[in-house]
Amino acid sequence: MRSFPARSRWLWAAAGAGYAFLYLPLVIVVVYSFNDSRLNAEWVGFTLDWYRKLAHNDEMQTAAANSLIIASVASLVSTVLGTMAGVAMYRYKTRLLPLLVLTPIAIPEILMGVSLLIFFVLLNFSLGLVSVALAHIAFCIGFVAIVVRARLSGMDETLTEAARDCGASPWQTFRYITLPLIMPGVIAGALMAFTLSIDDFVITFFTAGAGTITLPLQIYSMIKIAVTPEVNAVSTLLMLLTLILIVVATRVSPSLLRSNEENE
Amino acid sequence: MMIKRCVAVLLCLAALPALAKDTLNLYNWNNYIAPETVKRFEEQCKCEVKQTYYSDNEELLAKLAAGAKGYDILVPTSNAMQSLIKGGQLKPIDKSKLSNLKNINTLYMNTEFDPGNKFSVPYAMSTTILGYNAEKMKELGLPTDTWAVIFDPKYLEKVKRRVTVLDSSNELFAAALKYLGYSANDTDEKHWKEAADLIKRAKPYWAAFNASSYIKELTVGNIWLVHGYSNDIFQANLDAQAAGRKFSILQGMPKEGAVLAVDNMVIHKDAPRPDLALLFMNFMLEGKNSAELTNLIGSGNPNTDAIKYIKPELLKNPAIFPDAAVQAKLEQLKDLTSAQRKLRGKMWTEIKASR
Repeated sequence: MRSFPARSRWLWAAAGAGYAFLYLPLVIVVVYSFNDSRLNAEWVGFTLDWYRKLAHNDEMQTAAANSLIIASVASLVSTVLGTMAGVAMYRYKTRLLPLLVLTPIAIPEILMGVSLLIFFVLLNFSLGLVSVALAHIAFCIGFVAIVVRARLSGMDETLTEAARDCGASPWQTFRYITLPLIMPGVIAGALMAFTLSIDDFVITFFTAGAGTITLPLQIYSMIKIAVTPEVNAVSTLLMLLTLILIVVATRVSPSLLRSNEENE
Repeated sequence: MMIKRCVAVLLCLAALPALAKDTLNLYNWNNYIAPETVKRFEEQCKCEVKQTYYSDNEELLAKLAAGAKGYDILVPTSNAMQSLIKGGQLKPIDKSKLSNLKNINTLYMNTEFDPGNKFSVPYAMSTTILGYNAEKMKELGLPTDTWAVIFDPKYLEKVKRRVTVLDSSNELFAAALKYLGYSANDTDEKHWKEAADLIKRAKPYWAAFNASSYIKELTVGNIWLVHGYSNDIFQANLDAQAAGRKFSILQGMPKEGAVLAVDNMVIHKDAPRPDLALLFMNFMLEGKNSAELTNLIGSGNPNTDAIKYIKPELLKNPAIFPDAAVQAKLEQLKDLTSAQRKLRGKMWTEIKASR
């Protein structure tokens, strides 16, 4: 504690640098979306042209809409399944279950992409939004399960026992005691699934069929011919949406961004 | 009950693409067909064109090799097309439905990549050439019609760290081999060694191996000379003019010759609509439609009927429409055998690691 001021200054600087590293690229993306030049190179002047162009670019809009639909469905379904998996992993401490649930996280994406494609082809399942959504659900479940299990292990188990003593059925115990307690974990898992899904390229590339484009696929195919600021514009809009989602999530569950509040 | 309903909904969704009628699925490079061309075809065939994009032939090959289907038309480069033919991935085309096939310059027909054009029709092409900042090169008094300018230290001295070359072993070796007077498809190990030495000697003068952002670097003015694709260099100049730069970016066709890449329209073996695919092929073989792409991105055009629709300034550009002498020195890259690929890979690693 003697060297508190010096250390604190150092800490602040480190924190500042860390945040700058995280957020500056995002700020640059937003700033250049208003730049009056096709090149992301220097500031020329303010314009809303790229947003106007985006409004007329059906392809980019379809891609963005597809990405949003897939991410919403994937996060919703994988949150439900992942929460169930997390609870099961916590309650039944077998060795096999975590292995089964968590393997998709450890498998290299490219392997998962190729094997899913081969699987879909084998089933004669037509590739499209549905196959992409299913693939995303498959790799998101593990992430949700991990977060939920971590939340559960911080939970006071006497609470569920007390509920059972008071005559609550297993379902009631889960619905009224366990679920509210692990809600921050569930929401965090859902947000994570949403982000993972919306920016996934590798698995999407393999499981998307003819005519299915998502935002990452669209942007990647543009890299060869220089990415236009329309990409910045659509990214800015998506960031805005994510920001709104986080704000809503914290409103719904105020303790989301604070950890283990109820343990204190 | 719930689960059953979910499954039912899922199955319906999965079946949807099959219900949507009259759609042509085009698996293409991004920005490789003019939007007005697509619109006109949609009106003519009363169908919808759905495009999906790839940015590399390998992407296309990987995806199809894993069994993806649903695509009608693909637009692979010749050597990738050859692998597709070998892999039995393509459907032979019925040439009686292609009344406009006569428009294609015979120079691009019946190549060794697809003898007799059983599976393919040429679509558009590009060359791998020099791109340069016209003002800077003039100021420095450097030639722009020879590979020497990116390989010979005598010239490189003057543009040190202002040059980029493509980050592609095939393209760079081809340029080096051409400069040395060999064929781009030369497979003699000794000649490869010479090329590798040439590249190693020049490497300290280069700013980077760059295959993705060199368009921007040229436009911004950081880089004055590149080894790159003719379409990209064309785009760089458009960008530079649009951004009001005081210099122009020009294309330089080396007198030693260069790599030619021809992209071809082919039909996938599992094409849901081979009939529409043939209609589309014939449509794209019409001079006007083919010309629109050249006017948009400055691509080379194998269609003799297209010439009259192409902007005059493009026709005068020797990098897009080379004269017969240069034409004779252009070569399409062939696939390497796996042993050759291994050797090339080893040499490439050594080049990358050398200082």
